[in-house]
Amino acid sequence: MAVRAQFENSNEVGVFARLTNSYAVVAVGASENFYSVFEAELQDIIPICHATIAGTRIVGRLTVGNKNGLLVPTTTTDQELQHLRNTLPDTVKIQRIEERLSALGNVICCNDHVAIVHPDLERETEEIIADTLGVEVFRQTVADNVLTGSYMALSNAGGIVHPKTSIRDQDELSSLLQVPLVAGSVNRGSPVVGAGMVVNDWLAVTGLDTTATELSVIESVFRLGEMAAPGAGGGPQKESIVESFY
Amino acid sequence: MKTTWKDIAPVPTNQEFLDIVLSRTQRQLPTQIRAGFKISRIRGFYTRKVKYTQETFCEKFQAILDGFPRLQDIHPFHKDLMNTLYDADHFRIALGQVSTAKHLIETVSRDYVRLIKYAQSLFQCKQLKRAALGRMATICRRLKDPLVYLEQVRQHLGRLPAIDPNTRTLLICGYPNVGKSSFLRSITRADVDVQPYAFTTKSLFVGHFDYKYLRFQAIDTPGILDHPLEEMNTIEMQSITAVAHLRSAILYFMDLSEQCGYSVADQIKLFHSIKPLFANKVVYIVINKIDVRRPEDLDPEEQQELQEILKSGDVELLQASCTTTEGVTAVKNAACDKLLAERVAQKLKSGTNTSAGTPGGRLGDVLARIHVAQPMGGATRETFIPEAVKNLKKYDKNDPNRRKLERDLEEEQGGAGVYSFDMQRDYTLANDEWKHDKIPEVWNGKNIYDFVDPDIEKKLAALEEEEEKLEADGYYESDESVEDAEDADTRMKADLIREKRVLMRNEAKMRKSLKNRAAIPRSAKAKKLSQLERALDSAGYDIDAAGDRARSQSQVRGRTTTRSEVGDDDAMDIDDPHKAIARAKSRARSQAATDRRNDGVVDEPSRTKAERLHKLGQKQMNRMARAGEADRHTTASLPKHLFAGKRGIGKNQRR
Repeated sequence: MAVRAQFENSNEVGVFARLTNSYAVVAVGASENFYSVFEAELQDIIPICHATIAGTRIVGRLTVGNKNGLLVPTTTTDQELQHLRNTLPDTVKIQRIEERLSALGNVICCNDHVAIVHPDLERETEEIIADTLGVEVFRQTVADNVLTGSYMALSNAGGIVHPKTSIRDQDELSSLLQVPLVAGSVNRGSPVVGAGMVVNDWLAVTGLDTTATELSVIESVFRLGEMAAPGAGGGPQKESIVESFY
Repeated sequence: MKTTWKDIAPVPTNQEFLDIVLSRTQRQLPTQIRAGFKISRIRGFYTRKVKYTQETFCEKFQAILDGFPRLQDIHPFHKDLMNTLYDADHFRIALGQVSTAKHLIETVSRDYVRLIKYAQSLFQCKQLKRAALGRMATICRRLKDPLVYLEQVRQHLGRLPAIDPNTRTLLICGYPNVGKSSFLRSITRADVDVQPYAFTTKSLFVGHFDYKYLRFQAIDTPGILDHPLEEMNTIEMQSITAVAHLRSAILYFMDLSEQCGYSVADQIKLFHSIKPLFANKVVYIVINKIDVRRPEDLDPEEQQELQEILKSGDVELLQASCTTTEGVTAVKNAACDKLLAERVAQKLKSGTNTSAGTPGGRLGDVLARIHVAQPMGGATRETFIPEAVKNLKKYDKNDPNRRKLERDLEEEQGGAGVYSFDMQRDYTLANDEWKHDKIPEVWNGKNIYDFVDPDIEKKLAALEEEEEKLEADGYYESDESVEDAEDADTRMKADLIREKRVLMRNEAKMRKSLKNRAAIPRSAKAKKLSQLERALDSAGYDIDAAGDRARSQSQVRGRTTTRSEVGDDDAMDIDDPHKAIARAKSRARSQAATDRRNDGVVDEPSRTKAERLHKLGQKQMNRMARAGEADRHTTASLPKHLFAGKRGIGKNQRR
């Protein structure tokens, strides 16, 4: 299932929300419309938490998490941390990280098994990520961008990377992550796929500007909705595309 | 590259052409001319007529030349097709004639314009113009046949099917009456005429269909008979042209039932004879009419021959029946697949730079975009999808029993901006009553959360225990607070120093707190003499001289206290002639700085001469009683012309 949404006229859904397989964190907005998009799909399945981080609404960029845990930056206030703790289930470990690169969502990209992080992240942070989120950590870049969390959207089923990622890089990352990857865009050509959408194993929420083509790529690579059955839909007809575009 | 020529402008016949051109000249140019006009004007008038007519002719001819395709510029397929249909030589000659006519008309115009320049009268001019236009008309009239031919070509070209020689093409060929048109009808929506006699199809027909999201064109060709190329007629040549030039998949249709009237052997022979044209193409032999006879039913000889063709490996056999539609789609799909694979392979090959072995440039971009990187190595990443997801009913906004969302609550309770959601609603605590408990952020000046610790009781107990232990061990009983005398002394001095520093600081502060008052520099301040004396005294100097000087400098107002002696400067003046004379003599005489009378002249004669000349110069002026520069003149205080009132209000700029 992939749905389109907008947070107060902004298409950058990944900035204002963090979605994992066991919880969702959504920014506090002026109205409940954005929150209810998540609620309609996730109500009674996983907890959805209204939250701010350091008093801001960019919770998706400041936090990173998966099924096992949630990492918040050092700027998070005690009250916010308490609120998150109270709302999220006890199985989710919450950890505040002292890290210079405090926009954790931008510098870390992870699913439930593996994380790709900014090459300049501190060693302690790397260890905390491995412990809290229960993942293998790799320092990598995506299409020569160090902001792995911004330029990559990842779930356990697949991933989308920056549209200009070279084939070799894609193959390398794919082998590292052990999930299929495609180079794609969201929100009518935006290369910041990580910030433009959120995804977990059964739901993707993208910006309202996302085109049908982008959405179908998202659905097929993340195996959402009808594409959920393995092998369904097949590969896109490579021949047809080469024939018509070259 | 252009593939259709539907937009060529109609070519008029020579008579129409003349009418168009001449009436345009008549309409667009002035028609009034009189014999009484200047001859240059008359010449201009007729020159213009001739030139304008020539320009119109040339423009129209050029339009015809530009409208028709140039054979060397179009695709070889179209070139050959046009050669077959219209005869390239004829076509070229027709266009050449038009071009020649254009040049001739230009020459005529040039000549007659030149002649008109020498015409002496209106009549001569007019006759020359008539002659010029007459000759142009004659040239145009000679174009009768080419124009008619070109019009026919135009009409035929416009009706040719739009065949794109470079796109994905299935080309259907074979003997007449083997079912080519039926096949086209069954795979596309082209409404081709199908009749049970040979040569129903007399020209190329195109149908389009979609396969794998791509548009394919299928071309139905007229039947070919097996005879040498030179003997083929126009209809067959169209087929040959298409086979030879189009980059396509060729479906060679065969009718084993021989209902078409040609034996299987003949059909195989034809295949062999046109085989050279199939080089580098995807070729299929399609056995049509399998509802009547299948290849298995052939007699061994024919079977043998058929297998001979297939042996080479680059030709494949397909079977279909257009009447029962059996195998039609299979034929189409097989051909399309192979054609597509072939084309893509070629594109990949041409787009790959040889050194790196990877497609670069635009092809690389396209491939990168559709590339799905599959992980190497076998680890499977299992997903964690809760069971509840599968049973989740899809949310429908219009369903009255839909799940209640925060948005609905918001709507009920006053909408956005009014409604304030309950942040604590979803808390998962041990006791639900705790949800809305208030926790202060800061209490007694301490941040509450600094002290929140699940193990705080335990830690406190541990600390207390340690404390007790220390106390019991007598850790706090040792007395180390005795100060020795030296320390006390140092402390006292330090205190003094501190105090002094504070005082100094205060003083400086006071000094600086002048704030808004005027600061008079010390040097400008009046000092009392006593102060000066005291300062000098303390410095060890003699004070008398300084004091005297200071007193002498100070002026006392009013009457002096001392009596002055007689003969003092202040006494009354008494004339003393001797003294006055002496003084006058001693004084220097005042002298003019220059002597203008004598300067610049060397001697007496030259000065006399200068004076004479000066007088001579004045002579004329004096005789006329003119005012010279030396005359005194007073201008009028009210210039009359400026103030006497003959002027109205504000007519002139200056007043």
